Amino acid sequence: MIPSLTREDLKIIGYNLGRVGNLFSVLMLVPTIVAAAYKEFDIIPHFIAASAVAFILSNLAIYFFHTKNGMELKHAVCVAALVWIFGMLLTAVPLWSTRSTGSYLDANFDTMSGFTTTGLTLIPDIDHLPHSINFFRHYLQFIGGIGIIVVTITVLAKSEMGSVLAFKAEAREEGIRPSVVRTSRMILGIAITFMVLGAVLLAIVGISEGMNVGTSIFDGVAHSMSGFATGGFSTHSQSILFYHSVWYEVVALILIIVGGFNFAFHYTVLSGKRSEVFKNIEIKTFFITLMLSTLIIAAALLFFNVYSSPDTLFRKAFFQAASAHTGTGFATVHPLQMSGVWPNLPQMMIAMIMLLGACANSTCGGIKAIRIGILVKAFFNEIKKTLSPKSAFVREKYHHISDTPLTDTIARGAALIAIGYIFLFFIGTAVTMLYGYGATDSMYDTSSALGNVGLSSGVTSPAMPPGLKVTYIFLMWAGRLEIMAVLALIGFVILALRRGIKR
Amino acid sequence: MGLRKFSLRAFLKKNFDFIAGVLSEVGLAASIIAVGMLICLLLIAIKSLL
Repeated sequence: MIPSLTREDLKIIGYNLGRVGNLFSVLMLVPTIVAAAYKEFDIIPHFIAASAVAFILSNLAIYFFHTKNGMELKHAVCVAALVWIFGMLLTAVPLWSTRSTGSYLDANFDTMSGFTTTGLTLIPDIDHLPHSINFFRHYLQFIGGIGIIVVTITVLAKSEMGSVLAFKAEAREEGIRPSVVRTSRMILGIAITFMVLGAVLLAIVGISEGMNVGTSIFDGVAHSMSGFATGGFSTHSQSILFYHSVWYEVVALILIIVGGFNFAFHYTVLSGKRSEVFKNIEIKTFFITLMLSTLIIAAALLFFNVYSSPDTLFRKAFFQAASAHTGTGFATVHPLQMSGVWPNLPQMMIAMIMLLGACANSTCGGIKAIRIGILVKAFFNEIKKTLSPKSAFVREKYHHISDTPLTDTIARGAALIAIGYIFLFFIGTAVTMLYGYGATDSMYDTSSALGNVGLSSGVTSPAMPPGLKVTYIFLMWAGRLEIMAVLALIGFVILALRRGIKR
Repeated sequence: MGLRKFSLRAFLKKNFDFIAGVLSEVGLAASIIAVGMLICLLLIAIKSLL
């Protein structure tokens, strides 16, 4: 029987949320440096005020919920789930107070989209946003991409045990190094290396394409942060399409594909085990599903005569497929062109791969390639078992960093997460359709929100109904946490409502 | 004083695995892009034959 909720449980959750909240107050001060550099002095008070609000609320939580007891797994799951909501509410303040969004709800939509590395936005005029606000959006994606909990552990780690629990609760169970704190620092190091490389390359391409140096560097840093984080926010409303540059698209593609790899895979390859590139089940699965989806999307676009030249077909079909599969959301096709000109088949295909996502333990959302690989292997294993004699012992293994036997428990875990995503996908699609949107558009944007992608067929806009905005905020949140942490939190709330809170 | 002479050779030797790893990953991503491009070219060729 699950034990009842106690006041001590609430104190542990509230106290740890307060500690993380302090981190948000520090993080919100960083964009003031950008604001000062670009002489946007009127923006600075908004960030300072938001930081002060976060600091006061967090320290009130620490004061009122102060406890010396450590976290158990149930507390860690709730903190991991609630920290995204807490972070969303706090970081929405500067977006709302600077009137970058139409309402506080829209600001919350954008910050949840940022933290979960989704990339959907309700900001009406991205092209004319102040630099500091634009930086803030991309910076949120970078922070969210490497994981709020990972950042928290890196900065605030108090006990190794608490860190391990928080790490597991945030769907990053797979450790790279023996110590979770060291693992978090390693993730941060890998992310910063690729982010800096991407920013330099994008800035060089921007300058060589004739853009001014300042804009090239700013856009390079912004797109590198959101690209490696597979977030998809852009400094332009037309996203990567704005540049009309094949080299900008190629660098962005490399960045988002590398961003879609597993951090454990990064660590293994960067430690010298380069043969992992050819053996890893997750990389193989990601490669096969990306190529299959490219084939279907490109074939449909070609045979419906949407594009006819090889370079345009590649730049539209493959870019959209890679962006959707890695959960990024960078686009080289305008949403209106997508919904108005593209046939239904490639749109449906993109909706499907948005739900798949790239690698586990990366910055992506979705079911993840490793689970797809495991489920396919388990499927063929079942066929082998059926065809083998009764006395035969059929054993299957897969390679992911090391050889692992494929057990029923692993296959069941992968199937449960996949079922959870498919269930939420149907709920989200049904809700969107109830608001009067078409079936294909509803599937497309629901898949985009749930898979933390950011591509849109036009449903996501400032004019969408508030109920749908809240639904998509929920989908982005549940999708990022791989559903289980959200279900555990809902279970916690139901338990509290049914049995009350014990002393 | 206290500063050691920077040697590119020593730096590359010390960080060989890391640099080679970064290049491997970029190479892997570039290969994936190349196969995607090949698929598009093949489709165009097939269509022109039909």
